[in-house]
Amino acid sequence: MSAVGSSNPEYVVARVRARRGKLYSDEEYRKLTRMGPAEIARFMEESTYEAEINALGSRHGGVDLIEYALNRNLAKQFEGILDWSEGRLYDLIARYLRKFDARNVKTVIRGIYVDASTEEIEVDLIRAGEFDDRRIRRLLEAESIEGVIEVLDDTIYGPALEEAYPAYEESGILVPLENAVDRTFYDHLLSELGRDEPTRQYESFLTAEIDFRNARNALRLARSGADIDPAEYFIEGGDLFTRDTLARLARNLDELVEYIAESQYADDLGPALRELEEADSLIAFEHATDAALLAYGDQLGTIHPVSVTPVISYILAKEREVQNIRAIARGKEAGLSDAEIEEELVIL
Amino acid sequence: MFEATSELGNVVLQEGQGTLTNPSAAAALAVGLAALGAGYAERGIGSAAVGAMAEDEGLFVNGLILTVLPETLVILALVVVFLV
Repeated sequence: MSAVGSSNPEYVVARVRARRGKLYSDEEYRKLTRMGPAEIARFMEESTYEAEINALGSRHGGVDLIEYALNRNLAKQFEGILDWSEGRLYDLIARYLRKFDARNVKTVIRGIYVDASTEEIEVDLIRAGEFDDRRIRRLLEAESIEGVIEVLDDTIYGPALEEAYPAYEESGILVPLENAVDRTFYDHLLSELGRDEPTRQYESFLTAEIDFRNARNALRLARSGADIDPAEYFIEGGDLFTRDTLARLARNLDELVEYIAESQYADDLGPALRELEEADSLIAFEHATDAALLAYGDQLGTIHPVSVTPVISYILAKEREVQNIRAIARGKEAGLSDAEIEEELVIL
Repeated sequence: MFEATSELGNVVLQEGQGTLTNPSAAAALAVGLAALGAGYAERGIGSAAVGAMAEDEGLFVNGLILTVLPETLVILALVVVFLV
């Protein structure tokens, strides 16, 4: 790196912005909702997903083809971003993309737990995180959960998993291991972030995401009325809840809704909260949190044009697109009407 | 690099009766500094342009034009050479 810093962020941001322009627009979503699975696959073949649809077309069909093509394209795009970026930018982006590593580790552990075959596990992985192909292959080849932990020994997940293993052996359920993975991910997400302005914006975005996640978990617990200790699901690093407030509020749905309605997120989530009170439906609330995050990410991308924020904004938009197309395809498969599917989409 | 530039400026100004008493030398310095500035500006633009081209080859012409735009700084600075 030269004395004035490298010009790597400019390069990455330019590429990411070009990709962002290729995401599906509202108009295209409207077309997609009127198509069947086969037509959606053909539509995707004519856009950015061409390579994936062609590569997978002979082995899978229907909605599975769409789903695997989406996952593979997502992985390819995010791997690309990690490939291009260096230094500080890499560190900031990898923090967020590690959530795919966490997801993959959980998938492999669950797969081994239910005795799924290697192929079955493999198609469910999204290779978008920091792990390289070699480590993923070693993960897939591991025959026991102990083996998985050994493979992850030199990663950030190693120590936490080792610590959680006795608890798993004792109880025979996966919760301790999965919690260990999640907690490691969130611990690293916010630790030692820099102090410059774009990074602070990034940090407040991550905080909002953690807050929403806590709020969702609490709402689900409060509504199901299950006798689970909410503190066990609490994720550190948020602004809105502390461990104690969450534990207290998760017992009472009305108080919880009121608490969120008085928080700094009231403007974004207000209508959804009212709906939650009236219709008792969590779906609207979860969509509202998604839409609020997406709007926030959109805004992020314009304030500091050459920094990590446009990249994160793209990553969010891409994830959303993948989820939207999956929702359309799965909805069609299940025979939902166009209007019902449109409700499932999160579009700005 | 910026620190180095301002230091250079200080040295030049302090030795008032030294180098800068010669107009040609001063003009040469002006052009040189302008070129440095142009180079610094092109650094970011160039890398962004290459990134955009990697995604879409049709952007080659636009990228090239935008990359060399700061070059006008040097051309304007060159006017100084003819004025002194």
